[in-house]
Amino acid sequence: MLPALEMKGISKSFPGVKALDSVSFSAATGEVVGLIGENGAGKSTLLKILNGVYKPDAGSIAIDGRNVEIRSARDAFNKGIAMVFQEQSVISSLTIAENIFLGREEEFLRFGLISKARMNEAAAQELEKVRLKIHPGTLAADLSFSDRQMVEIAKALSLDTRIKRDVTILLDEPTSVLEKKEVAMLFDIVRELKQRASIVFISHRLDEVLEICDRIYVMRDGRVVHESPAANADVHTLHQQMVGRQLQHEYYREEKQAQPSATIALKVDKLSKAGIFQDVSFDLHQGEVLGIAGVIGSGREALARCLAGYEKVDGGTLHMGGKAVRLATAHDAVGRGIGFVPSERKVEGLITPFTVAENMTLACLSKFTSGGIISGAKESAIAKDWIAKLGIKTPSTKTMVVSLSGGNQQKVVLAKWRIAGVKILILDHPTRGIDVGAKEDVYSLVREMTAQGLAVILLGDTLDEVIGLSSRILVMKDGVVNASFNAPAGGKPAQLEIIQHMM
Amino acid sequence: MEHIRTMLPPAVLVAMVLIVGLYDTTFFSLSNFETVISDTMSLFLMATGLTLVIMMGGIDLSVQAVASMASCILAVYLPELGFLAIPLAVLGGTIAGLLSGFVSIALRIPSFIATLAAGGLVTSAAYWFSDTRSVDIAEDLTGRYLNWAVGTTLGISNDIWVGAIFLIILGVLLGATPFGRYVRAIGAQERAVIASGINVNRVKIATFMLSGTMAAVAGVMMAARLGSGSPTLANEFLLPAIAAVIVGGTAITGGVGSIWRTLVGALIIQVVRIGMTFMGVSVFTQQIIFGFILVAAVAVTMDRKKILVIK
Repeated sequence: MLPALEMKGISKSFPGVKALDSVSFSAATGEVVGLIGENGAGKSTLLKILNGVYKPDAGSIAIDGRNVEIRSARDAFNKGIAMVFQEQSVISSLTIAENIFLGREEEFLRFGLISKARMNEAAAQELEKVRLKIHPGTLAADLSFSDRQMVEIAKALSLDTRIKRDVTILLDEPTSVLEKKEVAMLFDIVRELKQRASIVFISHRLDEVLEICDRIYVMRDGRVVHESPAANADVHTLHQQMVGRQLQHEYYREEKQAQPSATIALKVDKLSKAGIFQDVSFDLHQGEVLGIAGVIGSGREALARCLAGYEKVDGGTLHMGGKAVRLATAHDAVGRGIGFVPSERKVEGLITPFTVAENMTLACLSKFTSGGIISGAKESAIAKDWIAKLGIKTPSTKTMVVSLSGGNQQKVVLAKWRIAGVKILILDHPTRGIDVGAKEDVYSLVREMTAQGLAVILLGDTLDEVIGLSSRILVMKDGVVNASFNAPAGGKPAQLEIIQHMM
Repeated sequence: MEHIRTMLPPAVLVAMVLIVGLYDTTFFSLSNFETVISDTMSLFLMATGLTLVIMMGGIDLSVQAVASMASCILAVYLPELGFLAIPLAVLGGTIAGLLSGFVSIALRIPSFIATLAAGGLVTSAAYWFSDTRSVDIAEDLTGRYLNWAVGTTLGISNDIWVGAIFLIILGVLLGATPFGRYVRAIGAQERAVIASGINVNRVKIATFMLSGTMAAVAGVMMAARLGSGSPTLANEFLLPAIAAVIVGGTAITGGVGSIWRTLVGALIIQVVRIGMTFMGVSVFTQQIIFGFILVAAVAVTMDRKKILVIK
């Protein structure tokens, strides 16, 4: 049987990263295809190509055997491909019905005006498919997070009634915010749906992938490294294929892992933020990499942002050097010697239209002035120094950071904090979207920093990374610290030990 | 592309001068150039502080009201206070800027609304100071206290000297101090500036205060040249002031720009204005042309490819 959707030899490059390298992929009607891989493996890029966000550099896409070009999300939809996004695209100021039919209002026109009644009626049918018993006229803002997710799915499913032939539905991490019961319901829907559709299911939860999928693709570093029927796969081998390397301890520079000092850099006591995390306590030692593991919704992101002064806490105390401190703003935190390497590098980490040197000195500009005037010579001297120390590949100190690769950009962020002389560095997904070589450089830098007595809090991109880099690991679940593991060099805990406390 | 953006405004200025000069060759004379530049200075001064606000990604719609209020304060208090009336008038502008900045930041209101509202308040203050009238400045007072603005030094009009001094001061402030870099950085990527531990609110308030201060300096200058202060003195200057900033090549979205560019922009506006008058274009038609110039300048200076949504 002809696959409903077939991609052949798809490649896509971004500055400094080959995101997809000759990827071939197919999905047939009546089939649920799993797509797994670590962050940065290329899954999202593949989906964005299918959804018309990116154009592939090479390769072809065929629907029902005919080559097509997908120009936009709307175009993809009209060609029978609908996507449920990982980041929700439901607009909270619109009703459920308006969300479902956004951009297709002409179907409900009566004398040039939208007939709400007809739209709601049609929406009610779509909601029935996802078993959501809520009036379609309800504002999306009034829905719970998981209900919004179901609306998102209903929106994708609405394609099924509009288009006469078989459709493809892409589900990008649809279960990450759902409860167990809702996941089971979603799977029922998927099984029902696959009679008339091909479904691509992307998830980090391997057990779910094994449960629902018929066939599984494993991606790594922009390539499909493995493809097999789900019946022949198991969690362990899938995981091996995703990670793809054996010498973990070399990759993470384990031999250089420093012994943390007894001096406490930051004492966190019963820190709470209502509804997000509760009573989090730990001591962060100098020279330590403290990893925090947890799924989305565990509260670890918010905790990191609170410690960086980006968000406010509701209760608990922080001590540095024996004195109580408040970190109400990033200004406070930086003043206390806490730097934050954010996951959104281009939004919070860097000023992309600024030069390498300007970005590096931004957090402590007053060090480079004389008589109130910035000394260009001092500034470029320090920038050159750090470009050499961190091996940043840039034509000059005056190059705009926007033109550097992701890995080099991240090194500029790290240089900024080293120049500012921070004592504590919070790394939020420090290797997101950078290629393997640059990742290893970042790992080496973390080892160097801790050897010099810096304390690091790490929210790793993968659990593997957290285990490999950290000397101690806290596991968070539903806003509380659920478990803690020592992870000395040569005595790392296994992933499964940690995962059972995360889920 | 970046080079084109930087070089385009000076090229346009030269072209405008040539066009007007070819139409009427009396335009080409040193004394006429001096007059043109001297006439541009009030507009330039008003646009300097505005340049910083726009570079920061904001807007100040109160500059014309602040300039008018400063002219009233000067005209009313000059007889009583003498020289002291000048800093008083400028201080009025600083306080107006503080108000705009405070409202915008403390209440988290977009600057265009905050400054629009503050402008209304400032206009009322101007009416109050002047008792709703235009207030003349006696000639002997001008001679005694305002010669720095209306006289000549080394054969060049003093307003050009004043303009040059502020060009240097603000040019250095914007181009070579941490404050200036923060202003540019906030315009380019505010969240990254906050994340770097910089007290962004303080920078913003200081920028609005500077904008108010410079608008007031411009108002004092106008009052000195015209010999009177009035609550509506600078009303027609808001659009040209914004146009001067944008035409000079400062991006309306922030992050890119300089005081130099604003000087070039102000000169372009002035030459176009004079040129149209030379060619007999009516005052009403001139407004249409200024509107076109503003839209064209924004279209050229803004890198719209980088902006996903334009509101």
